[in-house]
Amino acid sequence: LLNLSQLIFCFRNEAKSFGRSDLIPSIKLRHCCLLRNQRCITAYLYDRLLRIRALRWEYGSVLPANVRFHMSAEEVQWFGQYKKSLASFMRSLGEGEGLDITQDIKPPKSLYIQVRCLKDHGEFEIEDGTVILLKKNSQHFLPRWKCEQLIRQGVLEHVVS
Amino acid sequence: MFVTDIRKDFYEVVANQRVALLVAADIDALCACKILQALFHCDHIQYTLVPVIGWQDLSTAFLEHKEQFRYFVLINCGANVDLLEMLQPDDDSIFFICDTHRPVDVVNVYNDTQIKLLIKQDDDLGVPSYDDIFRDDEEEDDGSGNDSDEGSEPSGKRRRFDEGAIERRIERQRARREWEARRREILFDYEQFEFHGTSAAMMFFELAWVLTKDTKDMLWWAIIGLTDQQIHDKITHMKYVTDVATMQRHVSRHNHRNEDEENSLSIDCMRISFEYDLRLSLYQHWSLYESICNSCYTSSSFKLWTLNGQKKLREFLADMGLPLKQVKQKYTSMDMSIKENLRDVIEESSNKFGMKEIRIQTFGVHFGFQNRFLASDMVHATAALLESTEKEESDIAHNFIKALDSLSRGNLDRLHVGIDHAKRKLLAIQQTVASCICTNLILSQGPFLYCYLMEGTPDVKLFSKPLALTLLCKYLLKAFVHSTRNKRCKLLPLIMAAPKDVEKGTVIVAGIPPESETSDKKNFFGRAFEKAAESTSSRTLHDHFDTSIIELKTEDRSKFLDALITLLS
Repeated sequence: LLNLSQLIFCFRNEAKSFGRSDLIPSIKLRHCCLLRNQRCITAYLYDRLLRIRALRWEYGSVLPANVRFHMSAEEVQWFGQYKKSLASFMRSLGEGEGLDITQDIKPPKSLYIQVRCLKDHGEFEIEDGTVILLKKNSQHFLPRWKCEQLIRQGVLEHVVS
Repeated sequence: MFVTDIRKDFYEVVANQRVALLVAADIDALCACKILQALFHCDHIQYTLVPVIGWQDLSTAFLEHKEQFRYFVLINCGANVDLLEMLQPDDDSIFFICDTHRPVDVVNVYNDTQIKLLIKQDDDLGVPSYDDIFRDDEEEDDGSGNDSDEGSEPSGKRRRFDEGAIERRIERQRARREWEARRREILFDYEQFEFHGTSAAMMFFELAWVLTKDTKDMLWWAIIGLTDQQIHDKITHMKYVTDVATMQRHVSRHNHRNEDEENSLSIDCMRISFEYDLRLSLYQHWSLYESICNSCYTSSSFKLWTLNGQKKLREFLADMGLPLKQVKQKYTSMDMSIKENLRDVIEESSNKFGMKEIRIQTFGVHFGFQNRFLASDMVHATAALLESTEKEESDIAHNFIKALDSLSRGNLDRLHVGIDHAKRKLLAIQQTVASCICTNLILSQGPFLYCYLMEGTPDVKLFSKPLALTLLCKYLLKAFVHSTRNKRCKLLPLIMAAPKDVEKGTVIVAGIPPESETSDKKNFFGRAFEKAAESTSSRTLHDHFDTSIIELKTEDRSKFLDALITLLS
């Protein structure tokens, strides 16, 4: 920003000194355009950051490779820092015991939910080692916390009957 | 082995386990599945539901899931073959089979460890006794033992011993041959006819009742399962009436709450009632006229494919005093004065026109102001959804899920879509029946009647599915029996073939037993098809759980038929 205003100051002075005051409007116009582009770019970058932040809540702390492919190195770094601060916040809750606030974003109605598989996802392993084969159009009745991630990713669909 | 205490030996066993449900694609299985799902939801039993449409599907599903699950529940599949041999499971896999297909394979009956049958034993099964079929092979060892003994005996004694031993051996071998011949005969008699037992949905409803977790929803599903058996002609009329009486007891038990309380139940609550209603398919969701034209009973009694039949129908309506304009309107918009005594009026007139059994015992449900359904409506709607041939919905599992959803009360829009499909299906069946009879497509081949639907027939795609084809067979046979003058032909069974897959060049062939009032619905075509296919080495696929429905290559059709004729003459 500083560079731009300095430049514009220089150009104006030069124009005035060289008797080319008729160039001053075009300089002003160009300057405004540059400022506008700058605003657009910053808005775009900010929006990307917001989306990357939302990714943490959707995908968890490890992003899939195809998503990371589209992020720049600085964004990856920013993501890492956001992850860290979220983790330290979560750890500080509950009098030092920690609480995972990325679970149960909507108040749960039951412990177990019925889910339907929307696409072939292959085998899905849960923490206690059990493996479930997620084939398209198969239905499963599973504990809620095991499915939340996949529901958010659109692989499973919560069935209410 | 048969499970005697379904709560202790089945439910409590799977209570803390994860279970795989393998469910066949018929309405009774869907209803049973719904009931079981509701029970599992109550008790937080984790499960995975996989629909299967044939033996290959079953094997694939088993292979995919055998690492993750120890307990498998099979609904309406698996009882009539040697399951252990087909699936080759590990020793710790346990199968709970609730299947209406009979006869139950003897290996399944007598296996004590891995196969548990959720089947009532008083369902006249006629299982041969253990000793008649299985025998320990001690004689074999004795014989070989004697042989080795002979070698070590000193040569002097050997001759005498030889004669005695040889005689005994010959005697034993003769007895063994006799026993084997008797065994073959017993097994042949046992496995010759295929029929169906008590509805799977009713079995699971009983489980729910024993656990006192039964709800009206489950009761309704059990009723739908039973009605499915009746509509698709799987059980005899006697059995249907007996089972209806059982269900009626449950219905009264659930209904006594309605009158007990001072404030009666809200109109939105589900009410199930016993109805002695008309045998007109979907009449409350269609117009009365359409329903009469497209229901099997009425259309075959009137012979509506003839001009005379149409005249008789008009006479019938006039006899009842029902104006044509009213009758052709949607049922819900008919005059109240007509609707009030409709059933009695129709019954009276039907008796005059020779239809003595226009009414049948069934059940209806009613929730909210608009929603009234008879059990038969639900069966037709769900069956139409299950076998829907719309382009986007050609995936079997997808249709299964849709049909399963339509059974829940919350998915009424799906149910209405199903009812529309069912109307189209009934219309198509009616038209096909009319054209077959008018163009004499039904040929008598000697021991059976035969009809082949050509490729260009309208709606022939609908009939590439087993349930729709069986319904068509049933209607066609009934219509034929009413239309033919040949006394002998009236007692013949019917085999029907329709193109199944045009690219692969296959046809689907279904056989049904002859039409009679006291029919015991026993179908011998399963074995007959197998033997005919073997003898002519036709390329057949016996994939369906009902052995009387097979897939056959179009080119092999004629030699297959010839083999069948020789076999059954």
